[in-house]
Amino acid sequence: MQSDKHDRASGSHRIRLCTSLILTTISAVSASAEDVDFEKQVAPILSARCVGCHQPGKAKGGLDLTTPSAALKGGEAGPAFVAGSAVESELVIRITPEGPGAKPDMPRQGEALSAAEIGVIARWIDAGAPWPETVVLKEKAKADAATWWSLQRLAIAEPPPIPAGFPTSWNTNPIDRFVAAKLSSEGLGPNPAADRRTLIRRLSYDLTGLPPTFEETRDFLADTRPDAYELLVDRLLASPRYGERWGRYWLDVVRFGESNGFERNEIINNAWPFRDYVIRSLNQDKPFTRMIREHLAGDVFAPDAPLDKLGVAFLTIGPFDDVGNQDPVQAAQIRANTVDDTIVATGSAFLGLTIGCARCHDHKFDPIPQADYYRLQSAFAGARQGAQPMATPAAIDLRNRLLQPLQSRRKEIETGLAELEKRFQARIARAQPEDPKRWTKPVPEPKGISEPLPDEPIQAVRLTIRNTDRDPYSAGGARIEEFELRSRETPQRNLALASSGAKIEAPARKPGDFGDAYAPELMIDGQLGACWVSPASPAVVTLTLPAPARIGEVFFSSDRQGLIPGRSPYNTFVGDYELEISHDGKTWKTVANSSTERPPVSEGHRLARRSRAGYDVNEAAERDRMRAEIGKIDAEIAAVPNFPTAWTGNFSQPPDSTYVHLGGDPQKKGEPVAPGSMSYLGRIMPGYALDPKAPEADRRKALADWIANPANALTWRVLANRIWYLHFGTGIVDTPGDFGYMGGKPSHPELLDWLASFLIEHEGRWKPLHRAIVTSQTYRQSSAARPDALAKDAGTRLLWRYPTRRLEGEQIRDAMLAVSGALDETRGGPGFRLFQYLQDNVATYVSLDDPGPETWRRSVYHQSPRATRVDFLADFDCPDNVTSAPARTVTVTPLQSMTQWNHRFTHRMAEKLTEQTAGIDRPEERVDALYRLVFQRQASELEKSEGAALAGIAGWPNLARVLLNSNEFLYVE
Amino acid sequence: MSNEMNTTRTGAAPISKVGWARQWLDRRGFFGDVAAGIIGVALMDLEQGKANTADGPEGDFSWQPGRPQFTPKARQVLHIFCPGAASHIDLWDYKPALAQYDGTPLPGAEAFFSFQGKNGNLMRSPWPFVRAGQSGKPITTMLPHMARHVDDIAFLHGMVSRTNTHGPGCIFMNTGFVREGFPSAGAWVGYALGSLNDNLPRFVAMPDVRGEPPNGKANWSAGFLPAAYQAVPMSAQQAIRNLNPPPGIGDSEERAARAYLDKVNRRYAESHAENSELAARVASYELAARMQLAAPEAAGIDREPNHIKAAYGIDDPNPLKAAYARNCLTARRFLERGVRYVSLYCASRASGVDGLLNWDAHKTLKADYERHCPIFDQPTAALLSDIKARGLLDDDVLVLWTTEFGRMPTHQEGTTGRDHNPDAFTCWLMGAGIKGGTSFGSTDDFGRKSVENVTTVHDLYATVLYLLGIDHERLTYYFNGTNRRLTDVHGHVIREILA
Repeated sequence: MQSDKHDRASGSHRIRLCTSLILTTISAVSASAEDVDFEKQVAPILSARCVGCHQPGKAKGGLDLTTPSAALKGGEAGPAFVAGSAVESELVIRITPEGPGAKPDMPRQGEALSAAEIGVIARWIDAGAPWPETVVLKEKAKADAATWWSLQRLAIAEPPPIPAGFPTSWNTNPIDRFVAAKLSSEGLGPNPAADRRTLIRRLSYDLTGLPPTFEETRDFLADTRPDAYELLVDRLLASPRYGERWGRYWLDVVRFGESNGFERNEIINNAWPFRDYVIRSLNQDKPFTRMIREHLAGDVFAPDAPLDKLGVAFLTIGPFDDVGNQDPVQAAQIRANTVDDTIVATGSAFLGLTIGCARCHDHKFDPIPQADYYRLQSAFAGARQGAQPMATPAAIDLRNRLLQPLQSRRKEIETGLAELEKRFQARIARAQPEDPKRWTKPVPEPKGISEPLPDEPIQAVRLTIRNTDRDPYSAGGARIEEFELRSRETPQRNLALASSGAKIEAPARKPGDFGDAYAPELMIDGQLGACWVSPASPAVVTLTLPAPARIGEVFFSSDRQGLIPGRSPYNTFVGDYELEISHDGKTWKTVANSSTERPPVSEGHRLARRSRAGYDVNEAAERDRMRAEIGKIDAEIAAVPNFPTAWTGNFSQPPDSTYVHLGGDPQKKGEPVAPGSMSYLGRIMPGYALDPKAPEADRRKALADWIANPANALTWRVLANRIWYLHFGTGIVDTPGDFGYMGGKPSHPELLDWLASFLIEHEGRWKPLHRAIVTSQTYRQSSAARPDALAKDAGTRLLWRYPTRRLEGEQIRDAMLAVSGALDETRGGPGFRLFQYLQDNVATYVSLDDPGPETWRRSVYHQSPRATRVDFLADFDCPDNVTSAPARTVTVTPLQSMTQWNHRFTHRMAEKLTEQTAGIDRPEERVDALYRLVFQRQASELEKSEGAALAGIAGWPNLARVLLNSNEFLYVE
Repeated sequence: MSNEMNTTRTGAAPISKVGWARQWLDRRGFFGDVAAGIIGVALMDLEQGKANTADGPEGDFSWQPGRPQFTPKARQVLHIFCPGAASHIDLWDYKPALAQYDGTPLPGAEAFFSFQGKNGNLMRSPWPFVRAGQSGKPITTMLPHMARHVDDIAFLHGMVSRTNTHGPGCIFMNTGFVREGFPSAGAWVGYALGSLNDNLPRFVAMPDVRGEPPNGKANWSAGFLPAAYQAVPMSAQQAIRNLNPPPGIGDSEERAARAYLDKVNRRYAESHAENSELAARVASYELAARMQLAAPEAAGIDREPNHIKAAYGIDDPNPLKAAYARNCLTARRFLERGVRYVSLYCASRASGVDGLLNWDAHKTLKADYERHCPIFDQPTAALLSDIKARGLLDDDVLVLWTTEFGRMPTHQEGTTGRDHNPDAFTCWLMGAGIKGGTSFGSTDDFGRKSVENVTTVHDLYATVLYLLGIDHERLTYYFNGTNRRLTDVHGHVIREILA
């Protein structure tokens, strides 16, 4: 493929064709010929245009252009150049077009080199191609820190004057003046303001994530105060629902999720405090400077304010692989991946750059050297996943002091109980000495136990398992692969087979996703290997034959083939047991008792046997007295308030220094790296560099201060853009997590800088910026389409109207709850689940078919696991919480339609709507009532008659179902 | 970067869609007369109108997703996945030296540490290998049915992985990345080539009756691609979720409600004709309605003739084998009906007992594989024979068999099982475009490491995409700063196994 094309271009005829042109090119520029400086003139061209595809590890056509020896060694088409002869040099031939206007063979991607650039290279080769072996070329990032737009200081521009033809109302708000100037320059004008019903619906969804009620809409329509709109904005911004709506977005950005991810994907039940922290912080209008510091170092900045300290959970709330790996190379890689999550999340949330791309090499597109990545790694190297008690150090200390006397008293009593047990054991040992003479049978072994049975008709056999061979006090975990009843004749036949009608009953461990994994039937399937596993103690296995039979022996095992040597957790077997038989399945006769007939498996089993003899009256009384006292102490301990624990991460000084990992491989150490600021902003703001062994807390503190610095233009541009993005559906930069070369360019650069400056002026508080944006005329425009404007700007990037948008997944669900009157507005606390959580070594999440009213809370309170799909949310493009989701896609899929049309939840909400309107007799009025609830407007006459007709045929819940599935319900204008 | 690209990023549909939406709205009645395909195509267009195709500094390619870039050799993929790390040296990769040196230390690596800890001596495979087919390929006697197919199979014996952990290993095999959040191969293929049918999903995942594979749904996720490209989980045991309304709604009520929804949404879409998303929603309800009929029909294996049912073993007394056999038969019906990518799993996750629910034989290899091989062998072989007999392997279906990594030639200390081995394992391909009876790449004498013609998951998918008519370097999607690929920045087409 690629190489074929390369081959096509080589060959001598090509050289001849090119020669004349090269000569022309060279002569055209050599008029001003001077000595060519390789490092200053040639190297930058090669680095920027060639090395990207011609470097070690990615040598297209076999050519590596990073060192002179590699270049002379050449690739599939021979050496890159012939020193002293540009016209014979493959390099020059490849970059030179065959004729005017033709595209040269190289570079394959991007613009052709200019004649001047080709000239420089050609003259350098003609001059003998001097290139010191020590000069190794590196691919140059596409964006330059000195010039790339997002890395420059904020440009404070005066809002431009309002263009002719724009309403004077556009003159007040600077935002409108920037937007108007851009519109006007493209020959576009604005839309008129939207009507009031549209505005209150738009604002309510935008600021609170919920629709207004019909009454709120009616009141707003009737509000004649001149500042009615501004008052509405203030009311909505003050609502606690505001934090629920905007907090959800921030949770997307910081990849908040409530399970570990990866193979185990265990649920995290104490992550919700971070979710509440985000909601609370936004509702408080906490300065973003403060939020940055709390996110990166809440434990450092707010050690005595547990509710603020919680922010630091940001660092460790991402997915991590916790399977555990005994291979040290793999373990180091996994640890590096875990820290990488923190680095990438920080990059996306705060730095607005894809810093993760600099893990293996310098960033290809943005001016981020690999060392910058490892500066962040050294900042986060001390952060580990985990929880901490949510309390101040003083409170924790106080609690410990209150508990100390109680706990030591408890310990004393426990010692007393242990002594009592010892005395009891000694007494039993004397009174009922064990009798090794009766141990006529061997110790139970996983390879199998045989128990001969009396020669009589037997219908059923019952095995009561007292303990396993590993745990003297529990039968949980005992395994049996086959439970055989062997016939008396020779050769023996196994009569206990499901295939010949035997039945078996026993409690079994039952994983939710595959209940038969350890089923009792595995004991009578005629196959070794797969085992029944006992869930509890004592475990009783009852085997019943289709008809009474004479049986020679019972045989059961957990590892008959001896695949695992000795006793191990992998072949856990039965310890002590009793075996009974029955001729009718009703009356039982004991035929074997391991506790008297076999030696104990261990000393622990010996003690357990004695314990079964039971305490005498005096011993029991003493025990009960002590237990009662423990009970009292426990109650007192419980009365000392306990601190909840919350996922915050745990922090400790990393033992090792940080090095660059060459190629991203932790085993290949490069240069040492100390914690420090990102080099790419060194031109516009002060940086810092800490000692390589700086305390862990200082590293995060310094980074947080650097990011929160008002001079860090990127921080503020990125935040301003995010807020704009959520108000309008598209950012001024349409890649809100990437302000680098691969990201989008700002549609309104001056406006973006104005918004960023506005944020800085307000200490990074969000609410003033919301107010400025939503009170603008730009925001208040109608969504009506205009052919002229569509023709110029179909994507509505320039904001000649307010862009229509589909509700987000959470909003759809929340709105359905709200209009149906079912919404439970309990705020905060542990989340609800729309899935069944199954765990058997690894976790499985199964969507619920019919989630009950306890789940009818706002979706932001859903306990959201990673990498799983919960239909109502996932189908409507909610992210899976694995990586930062700075912007959501909107898709239209048949699965979505199926879910919304058929899911029980829709039907429940339709029933609720039906109930709400049940008192209305006249069908047309009832349709109208439904429209008021669902759309906050009255139904038209046509809608009334059509709706009533449908209700007549299909019932009221079906009409409500239709309305909940309608475009009008799902879209905001 | 051009302005045009910024426009496509905004999420709004291009103006050219407006005409279509209007025209379509004018013509359609519910369950009406327009060729059904148009809607599917139009929905695809809508999704792809928003997608970012390769552009910008990494390349200026004119190709748009929805069709191949060059003449394909295959159109569909059947991907059979045996999770748990199915042992190469006990199934496909014959190592006589293992038997010869059984019980002696692995030369140069005494008691080395791997995933679960210390390793013991070399351990022979519990079963002999036998030569099969014209090619005389040695294969374990535990897979007598699969032995029939060796002349059609191209084995890759020199596979290596990047991780020795199941979860990351499975998603690496399915997405090309060891981290979560990336699209699975089926999602990429659906994105690249679009749909072959208008009433079934492009990409179907068929989890085993024993549960989901390690790392669960991330194995068939759309990652950062639009949600439409995720697999729809659907098997003989599991219908598509929310396919039907809850019980209690009569047919005529359902029809009336659907018709009214159609009318209401159509009216709204007409008054906002510039927004093609609205018309697409109307169409998506119709597609859902068609799927409601098509999906049960596709999964209706009961209508198959008895000899077919028996060949797969769908009534086998072993319920796990019967369940997998039913999925195999269902997979054939999905392929016949134009599902683009079928991911079929044989076994599931890690359980409390290693090797019980999947191929992860840490402790008792013999017992475990005597359980798993019979479940896998006959149904898989019957599926391959069946699609071959129907001519589907000629120009349509490319078959992949994969697992996440291999197993050690040694036994784990204190057990008769094998630990994880990321340095050597086997995958194989078969069907459209594949040279059967070939073996490419090899491991050392004991199967400890791949040493010759080493291949990776990126090479595997470069080859798969090539056969589907796609250059893996030109199938890209912009996400968080980079034009992402299924093959990351790696991958070479394995030409040696192409027909």
